[in-house]
Amino acid sequence: MSEKKSTKINLGGIGKLAPLIGLVLVILIFTALTGGKLLSVTNLQNMANQVMVTALVAIGAVFVYGVGNFDMSLGGAVLFSAVLGAMAAVRSGSIFVTLVVCILVSVAIALIKGIFSAYIEVPFFIFTIVLGSVISSIVLVIMGSETTVYLKDAVREIPTFNFTQMTIINVVFLAVYFLVCLFLFNYTPIGSKAKMMGGNKVSAKQSGINDKKMHVLTFVISAIGVALAAFILIIRTRTIGSQTAGSVGTDVLIALVVGGMPISGGPKSKISAGLVGALTVVVLNSGLTMVGLSTAWIQAIRGVVFIVVVLVSSFSYRGKLLPR
Amino acid sequence: MAQELIFEAKNLTKHFGPTVALNGVDFKVYRGQITGLIGENGSGKSTITSIAAGMQPATSGEMTFLGKAHSPSTMIEGSKLGIGMIVQEQGTVSGITVAENIFAGEESRFRSGPFISKRKMNQEARKAMEDIGFTGVDPAAYIDTLDMQSRKLVEIAKVMYNKPEMLVVDETTTALSQHGREIIYGIMRKMKEDNKAVVFISHDLQELIDTCDTLTVLRDGDLITTLDRDQMDEDTIKKYMVGREMKGDYYRADYGTPVSEEVVLEVDKVTSGSGLLMNFSMKVHRGEILGIGGLSHCGMHELGKLMFGEDKLLTGKITHVPSGEAITSTQTAMKHGFGYVSKNRDTESLVLTATIQDNIISASYDKIAKGLVMTPKAVKEFVDEQVESLSIKCAGVGQDVQYLSGGNKQKVVFGKWIGRNCDILILDCPTRGVDIGVKAAMYQLIDQMRKAGKTIIMISEELPELLGMSDRLLILKDGALAGEFFRSETLDENHIIEVMI
Repeated sequence: MSEKKSTKINLGGIGKLAPLIGLVLVILIFTALTGGKLLSVTNLQNMANQVMVTALVAIGAVFVYGVGNFDMSLGGAVLFSAVLGAMAAVRSGSIFVTLVVCILVSVAIALIKGIFSAYIEVPFFIFTIVLGSVISSIVLVIMGSETTVYLKDAVREIPTFNFTQMTIINVVFLAVYFLVCLFLFNYTPIGSKAKMMGGNKVSAKQSGINDKKMHVLTFVISAIGVALAAFILIIRTRTIGSQTAGSVGTDVLIALVVGGMPISGGPKSKISAGLVGALTVVVLNSGLTMVGLSTAWIQAIRGVVFIVVVLVSSFSYRGKLLPR
Repeated sequence: MAQELIFEAKNLTKHFGPTVALNGVDFKVYRGQITGLIGENGSGKSTITSIAAGMQPATSGEMTFLGKAHSPSTMIEGSKLGIGMIVQEQGTVSGITVAENIFAGEESRFRSGPFISKRKMNQEARKAMEDIGFTGVDPAAYIDTLDMQSRKLVEIAKVMYNKPEMLVVDETTTALSQHGREIIYGIMRKMKEDNKAVVFISHDLQELIDTCDTLTVLRDGDLITTLDRDQMDEDTIKKYMVGREMKGDYYRADYGTPVSEEVVLEVDKVTSGSGLLMNFSMKVHRGEILGIGGLSHCGMHELGKLMFGEDKLLTGKITHVPSGEAITSTQTAMKHGFGYVSKNRDTESLVLTATIQDNIISASYDKIAKGLVMTPKAVKEFVDEQVESLSIKCAGVGQDVQYLSGGNKQKVVFGKWIGRNCDILILDCPTRGVDIGVKAAMYQLIDQMRKAGKTIIMISEELPELLGMSDRLLILKDGALAGEFFRSETLDENHIIEVMI
C-alpha cells in the first residue's frame, strides 16, 4: 500500500513540474540549435525585455482566466493604455502622470469588461474579441495621421534609462507584482473565490460568493499588470505605435497554457503559470527567430505548440474523470 | 423451477490505479428473476454492471452472456448484444426533441430518400413511450421543456425500445417520484414475466425487498453474500452491508419534545418565478426540525432555494424574523446564519475539481480570514476540525472531491456549512444517494444540531426520514400546502401519502 501511495505522489509531482520541465527543455533545445547564441548577453537582455511585458500581463490574467473568463482583449488593452500613456507623457512630461494615465485607462477597460461579464449574458470571449478589435480601431482614430507617438525629442523631462537602470525597474516591477498576485491568489479569499467560481459557478454562488463583485475585482487586478506592462513599454522603447504589443494577446494565451494553467480556469489555476509560461514563450519566440525561421513559420509553430499543450492537458484531465 | 443462466461473471476484477473497485467477484443473473445489488457507495455495484454493459473494461476475469463469452468494448456493443442500462445520471441530449433523443444514432431507420421522416420518427417514439406506459408527452417537443422525471422516462423508453434481454436499473429510482417508480417497477415485472432478466441497484432497502428475487450484497469490492427472498429483512441486509451489527432504528428516538414558539423565518404569500410554488405561506420556529415533503414537483425544492435567497421571488416576502430583514440574496441569508445543502450535490453544492479543503472553506472566508489575510494555519485548523468531527474518509484534505464516494462528498457539503456554525440549515434531500452508514451519521448530526438549538428545514422525497426526524411535517401539493402533521409515534405513512397525491 505504501509503495502505491508513493508512486501516486510522484506522478502528481511530475504533473506539477511539467511546465518547468517544458521551460528547461525549450532552453536546452534552442541553445543546442543556435549553438549557444540563445544565451548570449545581447539576446538575454533582449529576452528579458520581452518577458517583462508578457509576464506582467499573464500573471494578472491568471485571476481573469481562473474565474473562467477567457479574455482575448489583453493585447488591445496594453496597446490602448500605452498609446494614451505615451500621449500623456508627451503633453505633461511627467513620468508620474504617465503611470497614472496607464493605470486609469487600463482600469477603465477592466471595469467595462467586469460589468459586461457580470451582467450581460453573451459568451464572454466573443465580447473580448470584439472589444480587442474595437480598441485597435479607436487607437487608430486617436492617433489620426500619425502612426507612432515619439517620446524621444519631445520629452526631455522623462529620462532615458540605461540598461542597468531599466533592468532594476523591470525586476522591481515584476517581482512586486508577482508577489502581490501570489499573495492575493494563495493567501486571501480572493484567489480561493476565483478558483471556486471557475470550477463551478452555481456552487460558488450557493456558497455566498458575490460573483459580480469578483468579476470586476479580478479584471481590475489584471488591469494593474496591463498598466505596468504599458508603462514599461513607454519608458523603454519611447516609441509607441499602432502595432505595439500586437502579439501580446496570443503570447499571454500560450504562456498561460504552457505554464500549466487550465484553459477553462478553476481550482487548478496558479499564479506561477503566468511567470513560467511567459519565460517559455519568450525563449520559444526568440529561439525560433534565431534559428532563422520566417515570422509566418514562427506563427505556425506557436499554434502547433499551443494545440498540443491543450490536447495533452485535456487528456490527463479526461483520464482522471473516468467513472468508477 | 429450473433456472436458466443469462449472465455470469467469473473472478471479475477492476482496479482504478491503486484502488481495488472489484476484487474477484463471481456474479450470476438468471432469466425470469430480478436480481438486486446492494452495497455502500464505492462497494462496486455500479462497477459490475458498467463492465457488463461495456462502459469500461475489466482488469481481469471472464464474463458470459447468453451462453457466449462476453467482452463488449462500448456501450453500443453492449446494447446490441442485449444489455440495456438505465443509469442515475441524466442521459438525454438537450436542444433536440424527445423523439430525436429516443432514436439518437438510429436516425437512418426513418430515411425516405435523402431525408429523415420526422413524422415516422415521432410516431415510433410515441409507440416506444406508450410501450412503457408513459403517456402525455409530445414526441416532437423539445426535451428541455420536460421536467427531470419525464426526461428520465424518455431515457427508459429509449433503452426498452431496443428490447434488451437483460435490463440494468442503476439507482434510477432515487430521482423519480412515486409515479415514475411505478413505471419502472412495471417494466421490471414485465421483463420477469417475459423470462428476461433484471439487475436492480438501489439504496432503498424496502424497494429492493419488495421487488427482488435474490439480493447480492457487496462491500469494498467483495461479494459478501447472496440472499433469497425469505432471508431478506432490513436488519440482516444492513448487517452484511456494513459488516457489523446496526441498530434497526437510526432516526431520532424522542417524542413529545416541546418546540419553541419563537418564529425565526417567515414565508409570506410567496410565488416562485418557475410558478411551481403558488402563494405559499409558512412559519419556521427556532430549534425545530421542520420536514417538508411531497412529490418531486410540488414546489418544495424551489421553496428551499427561495428561502436561501437563491432564486427571485415573483411575489411575496421571506423574512428573517429576529432581525426583521427580508431575504433577497444568498448574502443576506448567510449574514443571518442560513446554510443550504442543495439536492444536486455534484452540480450545485461542490466544486468537483477542487480539493476537500477548498470546498470546506468556500462558504466561510469571512470566518477564516483576518482582515484580508487567510493564513494556511487558520485554513488547516478550520478544515481539520470538520474532517475530524464528520470523519470524512480521505487520503488527505488536498484530495479532489470528485474521487470521494457519495457519502463522503455529502459530508464535505455538511462540513462547509457546519464550519460556519449556521443557525438555520436548509437541507434539500440531505441523504440522497448516500449509503446507510453515512445516512445514520447524518441523522445523528441533524439531531445533535437540533439539540444545540439550531433550526433545521429538511426537504425530502423520502417519507420515512421525514417521519423519523421532523418535529413538524408540511406536505406540499401543486405548490400549495396540502397538510400539516406533528411528530407522533402513531403518525402513519399511508395517511400522508393520501394527502400527497
